Amino acid sequence: MISIRQLTKTLGSQQVLRGIDLEIATGETCVILGRSGCGKSVLLKHLIGLFQPTAGEVWVEGEEISRLPERKLGGIRKKIGMLFQSAALFDSMNVEDNLAFPLREAGVKNEGEIRDRVAEALNMVDLAGEQKKMPEKLSGGMRKRVGLARTIVGRPACILYDEPTTGLDPIASDSINHLIRRLQKRLHVTSVVVTHDMRTAFTTADRIAFLHEGGIYFHGTVEALKAATDPVLTDFIEGRSGDIS
Amino acid sequence: MVTALGRLTLSLFQYFGEIAALVSETCVSVVVAPIRWRLFARQIVEVGWRSQFVVIVTGMFTGAVLTAQTFFQFSTLGMKSATGSVVAVSLFRELGPVLTGLMVAGRVGASIAAEIGTMKVTEQIDALRSLAVHPIDYLAVPRVLALVLSMPLLVAESIGLGICASYLVGVHVLDISGPYFLENLIRFVGPRDIKMALCKAFCFGVIIAFVSCHQGLTAKEGAVGVGRAPTEAVVISSLAILISNFFLTFLLNMLFPYGR
Repeated sequence: MISIRQLTKTLGSQQVLRGIDLEIATGETCVILGRSGCGKSVLLKHLIGLFQPTAGEVWVEGEEISRLPERKLGGIRKKIGMLFQSAALFDSMNVEDNLAFPLREAGVKNEGEIRDRVAEALNMVDLAGEQKKMPEKLSGGMRKRVGLARTIVGRPACILYDEPTTGLDPIASDSINHLIRRLQKRLHVTSVVVTHDMRTAFTTADRIAFLHEGGIYFHGTVEALKAATDPVLTDFIEGRSGDIS
Repeated sequence: MVTALGRLTLSLFQYFGEIAALVSETCVSVVVAPIRWRLFARQIVEVGWRSQFVVIVTGMFTGAVLTAQTFFQFSTLGMKSATGSVVAVSLFRELGPVLTGLMVAGRVGASIAAEIGTMKVTEQIDALRSLAVHPIDYLAVPRVLALVLSMPLLVAESIGLGICASYLVGVHVLDISGPYFLENLIRFVGPRDIKMALCKAFCFGVIIAFVSCHQGLTAKEGAVGVGRAPTEAVVISSLAILISNFFLTFLLNMLFPYGR
């Protein structure tokens, strides 16, 4: 479904991504792991055309998207949904209007159908009946769920998750992890999850790519990562900084 | 010194380049994308309707104070009855468009830059893009159209009320003869002055809209970035209005010459 070839990105004077190669198959969940600031979110945003690479290519369903102008990316973006780190809900709209937004923009005119699809999406994220709340009245976990509901309401073929559990308490994080897994089973979507949370990685991944110093340092199954003896990987998995106080 | 001058020149070129790209993308959007009339109507309320108070106060007090000052000067020359026409021509040709432009830049320009800037740093603009909505179609076009339509109406309102205030102060406070005041006003103010006022209003609306949208769309991360966007939108819009007014005055005087 997604093919990343020799992707390089330079932001200002810093080369964030250095020749990334990664294939993501249809229906699988690929988790991109790495330390904060290593370029995971930058990589993810290339997959939906929010960033243009300095060099390299991004192919989505057989189409090279990295050089497409903004107005030609609409077709690809209707197939890919993205959950942002901050959920990025439109704060001038209530939950219902946030969810109805992609449907109205896609040309759905029937308000009854919009209401039903909004209710269905909210039901999937366990937020039934919360349509009239404004974003500022929602907790962090609820905002992520509403963001996820807005992502799935347009029925995308692929969902990109940017740090879905960052800033949430362990119980809310666990509930989001299971929600991601449940949506995969129910909607059969391809998923790319960017995280530095090992619990999220182990709960949701079919395959894991570990990003380190701008490149893919490890790529394999959850079991292969757990069995790894490389100190860079084991330090990250076990949360060791190497500092002795 | 030379390095600093070079940097300033480069940043000016970059700024004008970015503004030109925004103008070009907005024009493309107006042609190729459907106009969101509901958002446009909301912006008309925000830009036009909610600016009423500042525009009315600005117009009326400018007309009133200009009348008093002109009267004090003209009375020594025995030209009291010319006060109305001088005030009206000043309001139409300069003070009405410029002062209304500055007030709208302060009220509306700041609000546009703050709103779009906040959307930028909270990833709402990226969310729009990820939902296959072009930010220029959704954010810039309704605001630009609303400002371009509202500004001439606001300027007309400001000038109209300025002249009413001038009449009240001139005739009822300073004892100028009412019929003379009106006769001179009608004799010296013509369609050329109205056209000049409306042309300036249109240009100032365009300036405020693009400068403010640009500041919002390029706002930097964090509280400092979002805080700076509206301040810079107001400062740049105000300076651009004052500077462009000088050139517009010459250009429009060629198009609508006074006294012919």
